[in-house]
Amino acid sequence: MPILPPRWRIFLITLGIIALPIVIGLVWILLTALFDRVHGLIPQAGLGRENWRFLWQGSLSGRPTIWVALLNSLLFSATVALIEVLVSAMAAYAIARMRFPLRRAYLGFALMLHAFPAISLIIAIFFILRLLGLFDTLIGVILVKASLELPLGIWLMKGFFDNLSWEMEMAALVDGASRWTVFWRIALPLVRPGILALGTFALLSAWGEFILPFTLIVSGRSWTLALYLQSFTSEAFVDFGLMAAVGLFYALPVILFFLLGQRYLLNIYSGGVKG
Amino acid sequence: MRGVTVRLEGLVKHFGKVQALKTLDLEMKPGEMVAFLGPSGCGKTTTLLLIAGIYRATAGEIHFDDKRIDHLHPRDRDVGMVFQSYALYPHLNLFENIAFPLRLKRRPNREIREKVEQTAELLGITEQLHRRPAMVSGGQQQRAALARALVKEPQLLLLDEPLSNLDALIRLSARGEIRRLQQELGITSILVTHDQAEALAMSNRVTVFSVGEVQQFATPAELYARPANTFVAGFVGFPPMNLLEGSFNGDFQAGELKIAVPEGHPGGPGFLGIRPEDVRLDGEVPAQVLLVEPLGKDALLTFEARGALLKALVPQEGHPAPGETLTIGFPRERIHLFDSQGKRLPN
Amino acid sequence: MSLKAEAATEKGGTAERHRKMRGYGAPLLFLLPASILILLFFIIPVITTVVLSLTDISTLTFRNPSWAGLENYRRLFNDPFIPKILGNTARYLVLTLLFNVTMGLVLAILTSLIPERWGDNFRALWLVPRIMPPVVYVFVWQGLLARAPFGLISDLSGINKGWITAAPWTTIILANGFVGASFGMLLFTSAIRAIPRDLFYASAVDGASTWQTVRRVVLPLLRWPILFVTVYQTLSLLTSFEYILLLTNGGPGLFKTTVWSLHAYKIALSNYFGNVEFALGAAMATFLVFIGVALSLIYMRVFNFNELVSEPKIEVN
Repeated sequence: MPILPPRWRIFLITLGIIALPIVIGLVWILLTALFDRVHGLIPQAGLGRENWRFLWQGSLSGRPTIWVALLNSLLFSATVALIEVLVSAMAAYAIARMRFPLRRAYLGFALMLHAFPAISLIIAIFFILRLLGLFDTLIGVILVKASLELPLGIWLMKGFFDNLSWEMEMAALVDGASRWTVFWRIALPLVRPGILALGTFALLSAWGEFILPFTLIVSGRSWTLALYLQSFTSEAFVDFGLMAAVGLFYALPVILFFLLGQRYLLNIYSGGVKG
Repeated sequence: MRGVTVRLEGLVKHFGKVQALKTLDLEMKPGEMVAFLGPSGCGKTTTLLLIAGIYRATAGEIHFDDKRIDHLHPRDRDVGMVFQSYALYPHLNLFENIAFPLRLKRRPNREIREKVEQTAELLGITEQLHRRPAMVSGGQQQRAALARALVKEPQLLLLDEPLSNLDALIRLSARGEIRRLQQELGITSILVTHDQAEALAMSNRVTVFSVGEVQQFATPAELYARPANTFVAGFVGFPPMNLLEGSFNGDFQAGELKIAVPEGHPGGPGFLGIRPEDVRLDGEVPAQVLLVEPLGKDALLTFEARGALLKALVPQEGHPAPGETLTIGFPRERIHLFDSQGKRLPN
Repeated sequence: MSLKAEAATEKGGTAERHRKMRGYGAPLLFLLPASILILLFFIIPVITTVVLSLTDISTLTFRNPSWAGLENYRRLFNDPFIPKILGNTARYLVLTLLFNVTMGLVLAILTSLIPERWGDNFRALWLVPRIMPPVVYVFVWQGLLARAPFGLISDLSGINKGWITAAPWTTIILANGFVGASFGMLLFTSAIRAIPRDLFYASAVDGASTWQTVRRVVLPLLRWPILFVTVYQTLSLLTSFEYILLLTNGGPGLFKTTVWSLHAYKIALSNYFGNVEFALGAAMATFLVFIGVALSLIYMRVFNFNELVSEPKIEVN
């Protein structure tokens, strides 16, 4: 609000109190990962390397190594983001800039899917993947994840394409370009903010994805970091230190990204959920 | 570059229920510059986009020389077009913008470099080639757009209000430059504009549009001297022609005002027109000067004559003062007569 | 040689291509990948879910399933645990929604009442639960709520309990709430930013206190965003169960915190009951699908009426 209230410091303190749990949580995981033993928020022993043994001990109790999980997570996230951006951009361009029958219907349908609870379809998707022979494969989960995020992607990209100048596309056609060329060489470069926003959103979303790999993947060799970390909860004795270290390792890219591009993230979330 | 003959036959364009273009028949000679002149919404830009291929006609045919082309995609029509907003690609520098059509044709790099530099030189923007559109002035952007349109040596050049976005001063010089260039290259061109002075100054012939219909297609001189209807009469020429509504009965009568006209035309309601520059300050009609607007070389006077308001353009020297009464005259050979529909009556 | 002449000889004869101008080939190409994926993973699953629910497919009958008509639905209605699950779902929905919207409002308003940089920082902080991978996020909750000596709450309160098992509902609502609140927070913040400054100046000139300004200027203009967030999050809460699965797995005990979507998932996909009942789970999921369709249609009607899809200006493809 344009006018700063006189007692704004009270609000600041209130916000600090409300946000305390989040800060405590972050501090907790950091401490628990770095120190051998932590009670509450108080370290009981020195900084230890034991928690990080998953980095060099290879397979822990028959699990795949962290590196396999990391590779899968990277592959998973990157591919999902790539597919999503490409497919969404293509569909959005057609809807925003081309004429064809049922165009309005297609857009309306895509919008409706955006609000549709995709996860309720997981039972059917389980079957469909088995049918396609894609069950228990990384590529299967990649396709599912990318597809479920498509309506959002199309909606987001369409918004960006809508802002392009018509005369510029007309000029390109007259210059001798096909629609495909216009898309690749003119339209796409000019919606780069949209591509970055969608790509980032897709990466973050895929990186943390749990339910889909949990349901659709069985073999350890296809485990993502989410499954890797989750596998430690089923142990009889919960090794907080180890799990915190794994958790930190897993969440690190996100935290780093967050620190580097805070404002950017805020833009994505505000822009991606236009009311 | 060789100019192509453009022929439009029965061209019609509807947007849903809106009739943007009613029926257009037109033929342009090779190498000539034709202006499409008219107020906004009259159908001139629509026609241009139909010729470019961006729009598809509701009915009718378009021919380049003897080939029918209205079924062709814009990329196959070999047309160069300059848009009102210039429509340069913001993410490419001017060199790449101009090179774009050639790159699309997959010409070898050496040839592209040569042609782009040549065209840039022709348009005087060689120094700016490495810059992006946002970094150059409006005039330079316009010339870059022109270069892009011309670099592939098209058979037809289309210009959509190329001067509207320029500063008034630059507009004048740009006008001359474009015309000179077009004549030198001998390329058939169509210029869309709402500025009648521009249209008259730059073209061989002018098509005057109004609400989707052609009002007149003639040389500038013809439009000025013999406008086909009251719309053209009032639109072409500045300051606009005085148009009086009245009736013919031997003389022309508009209210109290009576003006002598040549004989031999039917009676009934109609219009009389006389250009401000043709009104004489000696005659039989008493009038009073209401307003004097000095324009430098000339002065624009507003008169009240027997209840009718008229304007006259007279030399600045020795012009009457406001409030003065004098008599004005309407030379018979300068009068334009129109029937009740607004159509010209032959003198 | 002029460009045109060169082009003519290149194509060897006909120097023009009769491309179909109105060809829908181009749009088709652009839409194909998206259409295939949507068909495979949205449309077919919806149909599959409904079809499955009308069979009796389970691990027992996997080799030769048969039609069961509405049998699954009848079983659901007669299941003694369904009322409990429905109650859980309602409880989960209402309480979490309340938390989400209220906290979202509070955060949006408070962060707008302090200097912008501080506001940005707090909002960024509140985004952390949302962008954290759920497994890690839940793990933090598990760690803080664990038994002594590790759990912070046990340590501080002196009461040694596994707090998640002791207070499962509170945990679930808070854990979901911390993630969900940021959605409303962002939307409401945008809306507040969009309020014309003049309204605030006028309010100040009128001598209104901060609270009065919030009540008179800000809240009324947040009505639509609040409605939007409510509807949107109702939909997502109805169908989400990820955090519940990770935190309590529907327990402790039998269905203490099991909601409808979680139950459907477990019946259909986990071996908990010995016999995996795909069809029964599908029946439960069908309910969700129908509600989802209905709500998303409403949501579209109400909130996208201004999505006037204007015709593209280029008529050729």
